[in-house]
Amino acid sequence: MDVPRTATTALGDRSVAGKRCLEAGAGVGNATAGLLANGAERVYAVTNDRDHARTTRRRVADAGSGGNDGDDDHTGDRLAVLEADLRAIPLPDGAVDVITAHGLCNVLDPAALSAVAEEFSRVAAPDAQLVVDDYDPPPDDAAISELFAVENAASELARGRPALTFYPAAFLRRFFAGHGWEFQRERTLLEPVPWTESHVSAHAERAASMAAACSGEPGDALATTARRLKSEIGSASAGRMYGLAFRLPA
Amino acid sequence: MQTRPLGDTGHDSSVMTFGAIALNWLEQEGANQLVEHVLDYGVNHFDVAPEYGDAELKLGPKLRQHREDIFLGCKTQERTYEGAWRKLDRSLNRLGVDSIDLYQVHGLEYDEELDAITGDDGALAAFREAKEQGLIDHIGLTSHGDPDLILDALDRIDDLETVMFPLNPVVAGKDDDEYDYEAVLARADAKNIGTLGIKAFAAGSWPPTDELPEADRPFSNWYRPVTAPDEIRERFDFAAARGLTSVISAGDPKLVTMILEAAADYDGMDEAAQRSLIERVRHDDSPVPEQLHH
Repeated sequence: MDVPRTATTALGDRSVAGKRCLEAGAGVGNATAGLLANGAERVYAVTNDRDHARTTRRRVADAGSGGNDGDDDHTGDRLAVLEADLRAIPLPDGAVDVITAHGLCNVLDPAALSAVAEEFSRVAAPDAQLVVDDYDPPPDDAAISELFAVENAASELARGRPALTFYPAAFLRRFFAGHGWEFQRERTLLEPVPWTESHVSAHAERAASMAAACSGEPGDALATTARRLKSEIGSASAGRMYGLAFRLPA
Repeated sequence: MQTRPLGDTGHDSSVMTFGAIALNWLEQEGANQLVEHVLDYGVNHFDVAPEYGDAELKLGPKLRQHREDIFLGCKTQERTYEGAWRKLDRSLNRLGVDSIDLYQVHGLEYDEELDAITGDDGALAAFREAKEQGLIDHIGLTSHGDPDLILDALDRIDDLETVMFPLNPVVAGKDDDEYDYEAVLARADAKNIGTLGIKAFAAGSWPPTDELPEADRPFSNWYRPVTAPDEIRERFDFAAARGLTSVISAGDPKLVTMILEAAADYDGMDEAAQRSLIERVRHDDSPVPEQLHH
């Protein structure tokens, strides 16, 4: 299983071997793959998205059976994919030594982010590490920003909250410090961020489907705009993805 | 154009090497012009092979005119002593020169071939005799095969001075050992062996011939190349920034000027931008369903 260079770079200077890890917001399992490759004793990949849970399980299972170098043996035994809300993580207090939030915070609005941070503090063992990888707000004049704005407008209409909130690195650094995490370092993972056709399409389709769930003209207009932007933008490179690392004082 | 020491050879190679296969697709007059054009940009390292159609013959006239300005790499696919001598003589004749600066074992692919070339009756025995006679100056190896095999070759051939292998963001994004050419780069660096990068501009394979017959391909490269100036530039920057001594230009003459421009302007690529490129091409060819994040 190929581990994206964003994940290998974010985890490169972290001590993961033999540790109990939580991938918060599994996505398609990118950080899970990195944690397993770096010798994690156990990875709890928590997501509230059934498709993401399935994708993560399948990727890791495929890699285990592929066995390219023999090191992947039993990766399946070291992974538990849990379908759950991160605001109520189904793990006991002090259960994990490493927490990764790889591309997670941008899908959490401030209220959700606060609740999730409380849970991180609860499940983290003394001396635990926290890895937070996310995106600085993309430049206002980037075409991709317009698509994200449409996606957020559709989400506000449909669900009463934004789909995406891009927190600046400095914001999350101070935010997690406020939750007792000691800041260790910041890295630039991607600059510019390559929003490929596949990303642009995924965001546009999500915006369009949320817009379609709203009745009336605004929903129709947003769906049309999302699809127009998808074909206009194609792909775009803009902004920065950063990686922050913290530890919890013992 | 920036130059870098080519391992222990004592030669400083331009950061772009001219892949002279491009001359095969031109008439002699055009070939002469392309060589002048490449030299004008400050390229001082050329690479050719007898397998590249008429490239050796078409390189000949301008090579002889500018012999002192060109570090000439040539190669052979022969694995035996006799075969290597025969091909070396033939290349010297076709190129019309007295000596070749770098003579390389071409396209090593199988373990048995490594055994063959290093054996008493192997190609390398001929290379060494030719070196003693002043017909070649340095010994190299090229392969787009298994990185483990290349690593073995680096360990087993004591007088190897250069190695040529693929390096681009597509292979750099893959973790499997079969794509781990970065390990080759690291080992070569540790041994102070010069590194020459091929396939820097590869975007992917050509479609199957029943979809796109060979005669309908718009470029003569073995692979489907990137063709837009921006893409060429970032591919060049990526390969050069990974630490190769020199990046070999793509085999189609239509691409050469764009690559020369990129090479002339090269001033590094930071690691975040390299990862950005790896991430972009990984998504272009990803088995994972559409994603919102990186």
